[in-house]
Amino acid sequence: MERILKKFFELTANPYGSLAEWKEKNKKKVIGCYPMQLPEEIIHAAGMLPVIIWRSNEPVTMGHAHIAPFNCGLTRSFVDDAVKGKLSFLDGVVFYRMCLQAQSLPFIIERNACPSYMEYLYLPALYPGASIRDYLIEEFERLKKSLEEFGGQEITVQSLNRSISVYNRNRRLLAEVYALRREKPGLIKGREMQAIVNSSMLMPKEEHNRLLEELIPELKKRSPADQKVRVVIYGGLCQTVQPEVLDLIESLGMVIVDDDMYVGSRYFANEVEASEKPVESLANRYLKKLPPCPTKGDWETDWTDYVIEIVKRNKAQGVITMLVKFCPPHLCYYPDLKRKFAEHGIPEVLIELEHEVISLEQTRTRLQSFIEIIGGV
Amino acid sequence: MEYKLNRLKTTSLIGPMVDKHWEGLRLAKQKGEKVAWCSGPLFIFPYAMNMKCHFMAGYAAYCGGRNQADRLLEIAEDDGDLPDTCSYHRLHMGMAAAVEKGIPVKEEVILPIPDLMISGRLCPEMSHYAEGLYRKMGIRVVGVDAAPPHREEDMLPMERFFERQIKENLIPALEEVCGRPFDYDRMSEILAVLKKTAELRNECWEYFKKTPSPWTLWDYGVSIAPVFYLMGNPETIPYYEKLKAELAERAEQNVGAVEPEKYRLYWDGWLPWGFLGKFIRKMAPFGAVPLVGRYPWEFFPHPERIEPYPDPVRTFVKQVYSDGGLARANLPALALPEICKWIETYSIDGLIMFSSKTCRMWNMGHPDTIDEIERRYGIPGVVIEADMVDSRMLSEAQIDTRLSALFEMIETRKKARKR
Amino acid sequence: MSLMVAGVDIGSLCTKTVILSAERKILSFNILRSGAVYRGAAESSLNEALKTLGFNIKDLKYVVSTGYGRARVPFADAEVTEITCHARGANYFFPEVRTVIDIGGQDSKVIRVNETGQAVRFVMNDKCAAGTGRFLEVMAGALGVDLEEMSEIALYAHEDIEVSSTCTVFAESEIISLLAGGYEKREIAAAIYKAIARRITGLTGQIGLVEKVAMTGGVAKSGGVVRALEKKLGVALLIPPEPQIVGACGAALIAREKALP
Repeated sequence: MERILKKFFELTANPYGSLAEWKEKNKKKVIGCYPMQLPEEIIHAAGMLPVIIWRSNEPVTMGHAHIAPFNCGLTRSFVDDAVKGKLSFLDGVVFYRMCLQAQSLPFIIERNACPSYMEYLYLPALYPGASIRDYLIEEFERLKKSLEEFGGQEITVQSLNRSISVYNRNRRLLAEVYALRREKPGLIKGREMQAIVNSSMLMPKEEHNRLLEELIPELKKRSPADQKVRVVIYGGLCQTVQPEVLDLIESLGMVIVDDDMYVGSRYFANEVEASEKPVESLANRYLKKLPPCPTKGDWETDWTDYVIEIVKRNKAQGVITMLVKFCPPHLCYYPDLKRKFAEHGIPEVLIELEHEVISLEQTRTRLQSFIEIIGGV
Repeated sequence: MEYKLNRLKTTSLIGPMVDKHWEGLRLAKQKGEKVAWCSGPLFIFPYAMNMKCHFMAGYAAYCGGRNQADRLLEIAEDDGDLPDTCSYHRLHMGMAAAVEKGIPVKEEVILPIPDLMISGRLCPEMSHYAEGLYRKMGIRVVGVDAAPPHREEDMLPMERFFERQIKENLIPALEEVCGRPFDYDRMSEILAVLKKTAELRNECWEYFKKTPSPWTLWDYGVSIAPVFYLMGNPETIPYYEKLKAELAERAEQNVGAVEPEKYRLYWDGWLPWGFLGKFIRKMAPFGAVPLVGRYPWEFFPHPERIEPYPDPVRTFVKQVYSDGGLARANLPALALPEICKWIETYSIDGLIMFSSKTCRMWNMGHPDTIDEIERRYGIPGVVIEADMVDSRMLSEAQIDTRLSALFEMIETRKKARKR
Repeated sequence: MSLMVAGVDIGSLCTKTVILSAERKILSFNILRSGAVYRGAAESSLNEALKTLGFNIKDLKYVVSTGYGRARVPFADAEVTEITCHARGANYFFPEVRTVIDIGGQDSKVIRVNETGQAVRFVMNDKCAAGTGRFLEVMAGALGVDLEEMSEIALYAHEDIEVSSTCTVFAESEIISLLAGGYEKREIAAAIYKAIARRITGLTGQIGLVEKVAMTGGVAKSGGVVRALEKKLGVALLIPPEPQIVGACGAALIAREKALP
């Protein structure tokens, strides 16, 4: 078990080396995907390895000659990696129009990293009407065609369905790990859980599935830590949380029972239906309104209600907002979230995530005050 | 340096037109008219239905020009909004909060709470305020996704998608709110006026080619409403006729807007609506004149292709995408060739990239654009970090230093070329 | 003396101590400029406060530490955050208070308090120093006046100007250019206070303003900030006689509860 977790930690701490090595050994193409909604299955079916773009461990330096500091950490870090030449092992990158930062990024990446393949999808907002679905399918078909041309390999209904089933298996296994944690909070540490999901984004799903199959029975043998204050974390759109912050939460006497994070339960939510029209099935997954995503333009589904539901289902005593600095979709939504949590009497605390070294002292004060409010001093 | 800033007489006529527009909106509810708020270039549709409609960026610019932006931003923040969000978003949340809670604001900027919010998702961030107001006040929203393309080959599929959403979503929603069929004839009339006005505007653009230029980008900036949210208003035609005549007169007498004119500048990004005077007073003493920009050029640069009849929706959709500047100006990849064209057409000496801290549409790609232009034309550029209306994001000392640095760089290059 | 407890608040600029009796009476207090070593500062401040009473650390039944250095006080029996402590301390001075604005050396907080002095909700500034004691000091430095003088001269401002930047570095350069532009210090000082008030009302907005409102922390001693904030918020601020010790007092109150459950 420790061996598998160690592998996950190593991969997520330094994906560059592991991926370059994997590529060398397997002679396959590696395609970087911008989070959070791209249909990785299509890339997988094209015989390539899709990986989700990550935030590096280094502070942004040279990248700031190409992008202003008032952009989110992932965007800046990705530009920084690109200009530093750290992404040379990527054969291609796929972007989509998720937010304004992702929208202009291809221009900078194309000029400074020159990947041999680059595609940009205009995935629409979840507005009502048939035109949205039709256009979305058109976009997925366009990606499929362009990957076929780039890889020289046809993507058939069978191969795409095969990839979908591998991905669904991974979703089911991750959901199983989450169910374990919900059942016995404390069984899996916050940083472990994040590495378990994050590593799925960075290695072939087949391998990740094998490792999870091995890991899950081992995890079951563990005995959970003492019962503590139960909390739910949510947010963290596109990005991972510094593991130190997750550690801090636990060291202050809280236990994370569940989450609504991108590198968390959002990643494996919703399986793709197997069908004769797999591209349409993939589109159907994108069109799902839950979990609500503030980048998808769906005004009717209330994100706060969704988080509150998670809190209630898990009998959690509070919720921790993981707000990525300069992430407008979350920033614009936050006042409503905060207001509604208060209306429901759910204690909430805000942690701002930055790419650069987070102020752990202030974070500690916030978290400790939060637990004092919940627990009463 | 001794300098002179020659103001145009005609531009003083714009204030009353604009005031009338916003007054019409403010009083609409009392007159029993329907009101819409709109982001993206879709307000022509409620106009065609005789609704009063606001346009997001236009209203924010108006508040900036009337010195009321800071007040509205403050109200939004007092209501819980966070300062790192788009200042246009915040400004609107502030306005809604002010009306809802009866917080006093200057009368001229008050907007009525709309019957319909049109979320034109040219900028995903601009749609957040529609979503927010729906959650807060339950205002009906209709959304039209309108992404700007990265590549020419993406243009037509997106144009078709845009058109379909207008026909299948927007027009039926307007028909429902107004209780009558969509008025295609009125839309054609609006487009006919717009065509005439924008053609006159294009004739005025010709004068930017002259040295010294008889007008500045700022003069055009305050004259933008007639080719945008004042579209269809018949007064916009005589306005541009007068403007053209005044420019012709100046050109004939060789009068420049800034005298002496030393540096001809390209201005990228938003115009600094809250600080137009401040910026021109910083540039003019150096003989620097902003002349052309990506944002002000995106409004119907090819009016000659507008065909108001028989299908106004079709021609409008083309104006936004394949025939237009709007879809081409917003992302750096497609804008770059346009910028190159302008640099040649208007004999540009330097670039100012106005990087709005809270607008991630117009703050991305600036350094790379400067780099590319420098490589191709040998002209320098600087990035100026500020905001379109939020005065707290603006550091005068920093701006002064960067502007001086730009002018020094231009001077050095000019000397080097002479040698 | 039957029972004595103490609260020690180790802030970024100053360390504060309050000694409390079983009857919740403040027996003595001390304020000391914190050095680089929190441990030494805490001990010195505590000893100073005890010395006036003729006691030493051994005589204390319970010590609670708070503030940024709270985890590094070896003789403390418990550590509690300054948010909880300011809430408790403000309630001690003004039981009717429901909102506490605490502006300290390096951060500012707005805390919602209930009738028993429990913090219910709070917001804190981000890493930016705007609207903190540190910001005020840097600005006074740029003006070449001390804090008291700055507060005083601002009273005589008659022209309304703006320092718009909330970034410490930007604001400093803005002040320098205002001075170079011939503006009087008094106008600039008033503008600085307005900028701080605006920043704090932004925080208050995130949590909502419920009266009555108290202000605590060292910056509450600045008449300039208090006036500007009262004007901006449109409410009168309740300020304890020694606002700087409210956190330490809250810590001492918690120490007393722990010692005498």
